Amino acid sequence: MNNKKYTFMRKASVLGLIASTILIQSCKKDFLNTAPAQNTAATQFFKTPEDAGKAVNAMYANLHEWNNIAFAPIAIESMGSDDVEKGSSASDATFFNDYHNFTITAGDGQLGGFWTGQYQTINFANQILANVPGITMDEALKNRYLAEAKFIRAYEYFRLVRAFGDVPLRLTIPKDASEYNLPHTPKEQVWAQIEKDLTEAAAVLPQSYGSADIGRITKGAALTMHAKVAMYLKKWNDVLSYTNTVMGMGYSLFPNYEQMFRTTNKNNQESIFEIQNNVIPNNPSASNSQYSQVQGVRGSTGGGWGFNVPSPELAAAYATGDPRRDATIIFRGETTPEGDKIPLEGDNPMYNQKSYVPFGLYVSGFNEGAQQNKIVLRYADVLLMNAEANNELGNSAAALGPLEQVRARARAGNAGVLPAVITTDQGTLRTAIYNERRFEFAMEFERYFDVIRQGRGAEVFGPRGWKAGKNEVWPIPQTEIDISGGTLTQNPGY
Amino acid sequence: MKRIYSISGLLLLFTFFSTVVLAQNATVKGKVTDAKTGEALIGVTVAVKGTSTGAQTDVNGAYTVNAPSNATLQVSYIGYTTQEVAVAGQTSIDFKLQSSTNELQGVVVVGYGTQRKVDVTGSIATVKGADVAKQASQNAVSGLQGKVAGVQIVNNGTPGSTPDITIRGLGTIYGNTKPLFVVDGVWYDDINFLNPQDIESFSVLKDASSTAIYGIRAANGVVLISTKRGAKGKPVINYNGFAGVQAVTNQVKMANATQYATAVNELAALNNGAAVFADPASYGTGTDWYKQILRKAFITNHQASISGGTDKYTYNYSFGYLNQDGIVKTNNFQRYTVHLSNDFKISKALKLGYTASGLSDKSRDVSGDIFHQLYGAAPTLPVRKADGSYGDPNDYGTGDGNNYNPQATLDFYNQRTKNKRVTYNVYGEVTFLKNFKFKSSFGGDVSQNEIRSYTPEYQATVKQFSNKTNLSLTHTDVRNWIWENTLSYEVKLNDHRITALLGYSALENVTRQINGQADNVPYAAKGNLQTSFPDDANVTYLATPGDQIRNRALSQFGRVNYSYKDKYLLNASIRRDGASQFFGANTYGYFPSVGAGWVITNEDFMKDQKVFSNLKLRGSWGKVGNSVVPINPTVQVIATDPYLTAIFGNPQVAYPGASINSIVPPSIVWEKTVSSDFGIEGGLFDNKLTFEADYYNRETQDAIFAIPVAGSLGTSNSALIGNQASIQNRGFEFLVGWKDQASNKFSYSISANLGINTNKVLNVITGKNPIYQGGDGIANGALATRTVVGEPIGQFYGYKVVGVFQTADQVSKSAQIGAKPGDFIYQDTNNDKIVDSRDRVALGSPLPKYSYGVNTSFTYKNFDLALDFQGVADVSVYNANVAYRFGNENFTQDFYNNRWHGEGTSNTYPSVNVGKTTNAAPNSFYVESGSYLRLRNAQLGYVLPRSLLNTWKISRVRLFANAQNALNIFGYKGFSPEIGGGVGSRGIDANVYPLYATYNFGVNVTF
Repeated sequence: MNNKKYTFMRKASVLGLIASTILIQSCKKDFLNTAPAQNTAATQFFKTPEDAGKAVNAMYANLHEWNNIAFAPIAIESMGSDDVEKGSSASDATFFNDYHNFTITAGDGQLGGFWTGQYQTINFANQILANVPGITMDEALKNRYLAEAKFIRAYEYFRLVRAFGDVPLRLTIPKDASEYNLPHTPKEQVWAQIEKDLTEAAAVLPQSYGSADIGRITKGAALTMHAKVAMYLKKWNDVLSYTNTVMGMGYSLFPNYEQMFRTTNKNNQESIFEIQNNVIPNNPSASNSQYSQVQGVRGSTGGGWGFNVPSPELAAAYATGDPRRDATIIFRGETTPEGDKIPLEGDNPMYNQKSYVPFGLYVSGFNEGAQQNKIVLRYADVLLMNAEANNELGNSAAALGPLEQVRARARAGNAGVLPAVITTDQGTLRTAIYNERRFEFAMEFERYFDVIRQGRGAEVFGPRGWKAGKNEVWPIPQTEIDISGGTLTQNPGY
Repeated sequence: MKRIYSISGLLLLFTFFSTVVLAQNATVKGKVTDAKTGEALIGVTVAVKGTSTGAQTDVNGAYTVNAPSNATLQVSYIGYTTQEVAVAGQTSIDFKLQSSTNELQGVVVVGYGTQRKVDVTGSIATVKGADVAKQASQNAVSGLQGKVAGVQIVNNGTPGSTPDITIRGLGTIYGNTKPLFVVDGVWYDDINFLNPQDIESFSVLKDASSTAIYGIRAANGVVLISTKRGAKGKPVINYNGFAGVQAVTNQVKMANATQYATAVNELAALNNGAAVFADPASYGTGTDWYKQILRKAFITNHQASISGGTDKYTYNYSFGYLNQDGIVKTNNFQRYTVHLSNDFKISKALKLGYTASGLSDKSRDVSGDIFHQLYGAAPTLPVRKADGSYGDPNDYGTGDGNNYNPQATLDFYNQRTKNKRVTYNVYGEVTFLKNFKFKSSFGGDVSQNEIRSYTPEYQATVKQFSNKTNLSLTHTDVRNWIWENTLSYEVKLNDHRITALLGYSALENVTRQINGQADNVPYAAKGNLQTSFPDDANVTYLATPGDQIRNRALSQFGRVNYSYKDKYLLNASIRRDGASQFFGANTYGYFPSVGAGWVITNEDFMKDQKVFSNLKLRGSWGKVGNSVVPINPTVQVIATDPYLTAIFGNPQVAYPGASINSIVPPSIVWEKTVSSDFGIEGGLFDNKLTFEADYYNRETQDAIFAIPVAGSLGTSNSALIGNQASIQNRGFEFLVGWKDQASNKFSYSISANLGINTNKVLNVITGKNPIYQGGDGIANGALATRTVVGEPIGQFYGYKVVGVFQTADQVSKSAQIGAKPGDFIYQDTNNDKIVDSRDRVALGSPLPKYSYGVNTSFTYKNFDLALDFQGVADVSVYNANVAYRFGNENFTQDFYNNRWHGEGTSNTYPSVNVGKTTNAAPNSFYVESGSYLRLRNAQLGYVLPRSLLNTWKISRVRLFANAQNALNIFGYKGFSPEIGGGVGSRGIDANVYPLYATYNFGVNVTF
């Protein structure tokens, strides 16, 4: 009996094992296929209108990512200016001083950060432009998405060409490895592509959106951006024509200059293009703007790190009584209109008030001031570009009107300050407009490249070491040159 | 054929007769002792030769067996020479066993079986579990350090953490560089779950002919581990326990408050700022943050086991408990382990058994940032102010670089980690047709890891606070299984011995991870950290695609071993693996190996010599694979990261986004390692002196890793994975041992091992263009390593410091126009009068050329002493802590004392402005020698005299004192030269757990 049982067990177990071995064998083909579920493979993306919408969202989202909005833009677009200083404590992040003093070398991390940051957004735009046309969806919406992508691509290339000069111009998704390593494209071609994208975008984009879509790119934004590009290229007729169009589109100056920059007045009547930021509950990654934090008041809960602070030169340069001085600069020891007391014993005598978010709005677990939108284009810029174009084209009298609009708002009803500019001498007026731009847009990342564009780099920044023929652009990041194996070359002088 | 038949016929006849003759049985009693020490030997098998009858000795070494008067008793015991004595009518026979000096009689655990040591043609090192278990370190891998030539282990001090282990150099760049661990036939990536006390033995398979049978995962070597199983006999109860203390050694001294304040003022002045501290001297010595946060930490460990069995079954059950405090206050790790194994002999032909290990551990964690905080914390900062509130760096305006009070970091960090893990293996073994054996083994790993982190609402300092509560929970589930079926055939025909093996295997690994977050979760003393989120909590769940893993493999394999007269050995194997990571034609890989050996001492011409007791030459070649590559590397996935969320509208609303921001290679093939090994091994003077020497050449082909790609592609990580390089590891290994029984009171053994390895990149897809990596902890993200053809993987690369600028005049005449006095002078390597990135040079390799160990043991009467030394030489480390600065972090005393602070003060150390971009750029100042020599373990034991124990009915009591890492000799200026890190950033010291020594006392008791 026992013996029988044993024999049976033995047979059964051997058979069982062999049978199961065969079983694995037979389903082998499927067994080794563990490819990701259909919905996560990229080949399944860009099929539906929803996919198109999400891709557009991702592109906008990247605008408030660290390298696009925080340290790298400060280094590249602000620190060279005479309006700012490094800030923070003297020994904190001293590489900013190398930008301020034009001693920067190609190895600095902010160069690479700015470079990859812009190109990441450009990739998101290129993904849309390459893939959305093939999606079956509402044609009007599709065309709008494409136009939004063209604007964003143009905006990022504008930042790149301004910062580095000749850069690789990538407009498509690379097919294979042979297309990974692009050489420089001459900057003239980059500018031409920017203009082409902006022209095409402006032709399609709506003048405004319903309340749910506020923050998207409008026709006004595309035209204003194009005017700015034309201004950098000294195409004054174009500047004039684009600004004139925008001036007929219903924008107006926000009456209170200082309050224009508070979170309560986001996307107001003056706003043309703002990067949209906020605190999204339970999603710190989506609330990742550190724009306000890195510039915020040091030493106060809800403040920030205190970089990119106004320079004493800026504070001293305002015309007596210009209310914009107080609206632009937080002074140590003051109490802000929102009631925040700024500690007297802080490291820095001044901070940027345009990025300031009242301390009480701070939410733990998020970056300080994560709610602050970054204003990129506003109507005052249109007016001053219009004035500059008129003056450059010899219509100096026509320049006075828009200039006065800007000054009048700044004056805030105080007739004793900021008298109207009445000169029609082209040279004098040019200086007046340059000055107006400086004070109107102080601490808004305009000044540094404005001065270079105006051909005054050596004059204004020379004492700190700026040299014509070299410092118009920053060095190409060393890591990019290393990776390219020499396909990319360094800018002259670096 | 005919002959086989007749032999088996004879055997049958013999068996028949021996059964028939079994007539007059008598009881034989006796005692088995160690011939040298006279100690009773427990669990010795006393068998009646040629039968299945037998017995085991009890705790007093006594046995009783029924044997025919004409029988022969065979007495065998592991580590002793087997003795045979004819009963010849005696009723009392005592045995004195000689400990076996001839290791060749031993058996080695090899892939899917065991092999006589004499038959081994590859390079296999064995380590006894006891040699690892005796150490204070409670990680089995860590215990292997210095024990095996060519095995390099880099420890990480965090309790419960896994050390890095590489065998014969770094051959893999991407993913897992660790060997495969096979525990009782089940595959694991790590063996954290094993209590070292449960391990019977390790077999480290180093060459490809030994590992090829595990083709799919064998590229970086294989470590086979057998856990303890029961042996026939009365229950044997064992208890091992120790308690001790861990204390930081080789502490780096930091600048004190006065020195710090002086340095900070200097730094401000160098940056044109005003002095931060009005009167540095008024701060005295200030706070010693290391003293404040670190402690002498307690450790205790208990393990109890019971084992035994009968003819029909054996068992081994054990239970372990470890309680280890970290050297950082509040850090604690507790581990419970259970190990169960049973083997059942159902019949002569069928054997069944299982092993099951359970692990439950929990830790109270400390912030991963704490060590960097301690390094940087201002000594001017009081732990607490006079009113009891936390000292606030903000009061001193020292900036954000060290704007924290480490005590507050510690106090408000509330994270617990829990692991539950069950690993198991069930097998069945059928012997049939005499020479065949079929074994099926199913095993797996079921584990669950949970990390809970709670942030309370608090305000400690201006920067350290939270105005809401938050609970975060990360939950990871692992379900792995492996099923292996092998058919083996073993036969000995006169001078021919053949073993053959065929196998089939399938496995699946599944990992799922989810992270949940909720704000405003009220703190309930225990509740929140032990149960789930409250019902009304608004929880956001995220499952990051990269943390969801599922892969499978299917494999077939075969092996033949042949030996002729035990002189000539041949061995060949092949394995075919299919892995789900690869697609289409690349799914399957073939991994062959061959090995051959010549046992010279078994030749007739060696018979009469007395010097060599063993001499063998061996050589092997093999090709193995590595499937530890990212999941579906050629599948581009949709990016849905939460940061891709746009915000539109009035009011502003979040719109999740998705897009494509990666590039993938069109195809990817198996990473393969081809290696050859030539060895000689021998024993002299009755194997008192043993030696082993190996030469190996190991080449990784089609190595898979990510190379950086142009930032202008706009991908999220600027990297592209692919088969992009060949890497060579070539070297020698030596092992020399001497052991002697000098008298019957004194015996000792000394063994030394040395591994010499040279790592070289043979070719890489970027051609002559280096791959730059290693930005970890380097200020400003500069890259400190490069990988380039002809050089080791991830060598340090940067400027060569040739001095320090003393005057502005010197700067203006130099090739570094932007520099200031006190900055490094870099070598203008290409002599173009400009110092730029083209002047960088190779600065050293993080991969040691030499690693060695010296292990000794001495026994005198009842005392035993073991001293284990271990070290590495010819290796560099990158001390990133020095320049990993954002502001006014503290300096080491060494740096402070030697810094440049005015003309003529130093030409080697820079000014305190060491953190500025150009000074912090990777350079030779930060690259130091990482060589060290360490007294890894020292143990003194005493066995209580038997006379004492007999009255207590205990068989053996041993008391011991142990010291681990008590002595460390190195020149490195950081905490510990033992620095791990990923490939490409290996050897960069940016946040290292301080080195500590463990001193403990313990007891081993056997009942």
